Amino acid sequence: MTAPLSKTIVLWIFVVAVLVLLSAPTIVILGASFTSGNIITFPPEGFSLKWYEKIATSRDLWDAFLRSLYVSAICTIVAIPVGTLAGIVLAKYAIRFEKSVQIYLLLPFTIPLIGSGIGLMLIFGEARLLGQLWPVGLACCVINLPFMIWAVTASASSLDPDLELAAASCGAPPLSTFLHVTLPAVMPGVISGSLLMFILALNEFLVSLLLTDARIVTLPVQIYNSIRSIITPDLAAISVVFIACAALAIVLLDRLVGLEIFLKSK
Amino acid sequence: MRVSKSAYPLTWRIMDALEAFAAFVWPARFGRAIPWMMLAPALLLVGLLVLGLWQIGDVSLRTLDTSTFLMSEAYTLANYQRAFTESLFAVVAWRSLAGSLIVTVVTLTLAFPYAYVMVRTSSPTIRKLLLIALFLPFFIGQVVRAYGWLIILGNQGMVNEALGLVGIAPIRLLYNYWAVLFGLVQYMLPFAVLMLAPALTAIPEELEAAAGSLGADWARTFRHIVLPLARPGLVGAGLVVMTLSLTDFAMPAILGGGSQDFIANAIYDQFFRTSDQGLGSTLALLLVAAGSMLVGLVFTLFGAGTLAMGRARR
Repeated sequence: MTAPLSKTIVLWIFVVAVLVLLSAPTIVILGASFTSGNIITFPPEGFSLKWYEKIATSRDLWDAFLRSLYVSAICTIVAIPVGTLAGIVLAKYAIRFEKSVQIYLLLPFTIPLIGSGIGLMLIFGEARLLGQLWPVGLACCVINLPFMIWAVTASASSLDPDLELAAASCGAPPLSTFLHVTLPAVMPGVISGSLLMFILALNEFLVSLLLTDARIVTLPVQIYNSIRSIITPDLAAISVVFIACAALAIVLLDRLVGLEIFLKSK
Repeated sequence: MRVSKSAYPLTWRIMDALEAFAAFVWPARFGRAIPWMMLAPALLLVGLLVLGLWQIGDVSLRTLDTSTFLMSEAYTLANYQRAFTESLFAVVAWRSLAGSLIVTVVTLTLAFPYAYVMVRTSSPTIRKLLLIALFLPFFIGQVVRAYGWLIILGNQGMVNEALGLVGIAPIRLLYNYWAVLFGLVQYMLPFAVLMLAPALTAIPEELEAAAGSLGADWARTFRHIVLPLARPGLVGAGLVVMTLSLTDFAMPAILGGGSQDFIANAIYDQFFRTSDQGLGSTLALLLVAAGSMLVGLVFTLFGAGTLAMGRARR
């Protein structure tokens, strides 16, 4: 059945508008980063890589970027076991208080970020942990944990429970069953979940702003602080690092599990 | 028959040892506790947030002594009184609330057709393209995206340069309410589409065909078939967009330039400008309460929608 023309036109007007809205900042930043002028204009006046040279030699920016990578790594390493185990339980076991556990585990989403950030700032301050980086990674893990759990439950629900029973009846002890049947089945969820966790922690701004001080700012906070003072194209060049990371994450996600996984209905 | 060493490889021995260890740590009679043990790390991690809220609650009951800059020892409700009576906070609260409502309506209106086309298109290439266009900004982060808008909308930005070419004086496009809302809509679009898409996938295409064959034009099919069936997705997406934009910090801070503070900015200022932790905590706690009431209200009225993460209902 072919759709009527008017429907196609109306729908595509919306789609194109959204496409422009979504892509405009990315395209503009890419363009601005290659400008040879000092003030950002678009189209860029002349092509040059001088802003990339400038950021390549800027210690501040590189340190901030490395700190961001470290925070994301901590976040992901913690999230993988914690989220996978919780996701499998929520998807497969009938436990008491199931509803309450679900609502509790959704808290990171229902508590506003500023509330979570301030709360963590207060308890980390009390425990004298502020000024270090790993608590920032842990905080990023907590506030995004539902993403990891969602990803795992989505793939665990499609695992037929009979498969585990079959493995057990073939003589596999519980741990073998878990490692050879359950874990491979939820792997797509673990992969997409951990990619999400990594990239969201890399971009996390507000919680980093609250938990870091001037000595250990992460890259988004560094950019934010520079925006407040003056806008120069080196910020565009460093933003391209984020765009590159995002593109890499999308390629990985697409290769490993396929982006279409996000369209699946539960 | 002689059993050779290789018949029982090393990996099997390791697995045996691990199994024995697992059986020792989790004896079968603890079977019923296993799900809870698997849940424990997640429950503990999220417990940090609960602990944080408790701490916020504690600090919110203390006032700042402006002569010594110490928090009072005794508990008092003075901060709550200030939060409810000072007109500044009422202004900020209304600005955030109205803003998030507008953002929700606009975002859902824009996201719905996008999600629909993405789910229904017969071309895998278009679908992939739409998905990539969605994920790229989603993965880039708020600060960088806001920075892009600064380049486009700034006083010497692209739009004003273009207007200058046709002889129109620069317009101040940034640092006003609409700039903040515009930035928020762009920030929320990926969230909204990703929450809507699974709900739209779940609607059988045959239903639309059936409505068409019974004489409904596409607009009526949309209105009476697609929209009602997509309700779980609309509820989930609307709730996420509403709460995230109500409590956003970066867009008002960067695109509002300090004159368009939302609640989160007011809280931040209390902590880091005025150093009044008590009042800041009070505002934070009130925001958490307002957000939770909103979520609770929507959940009881419409159900958890696509936000539910438990087992499929059987």
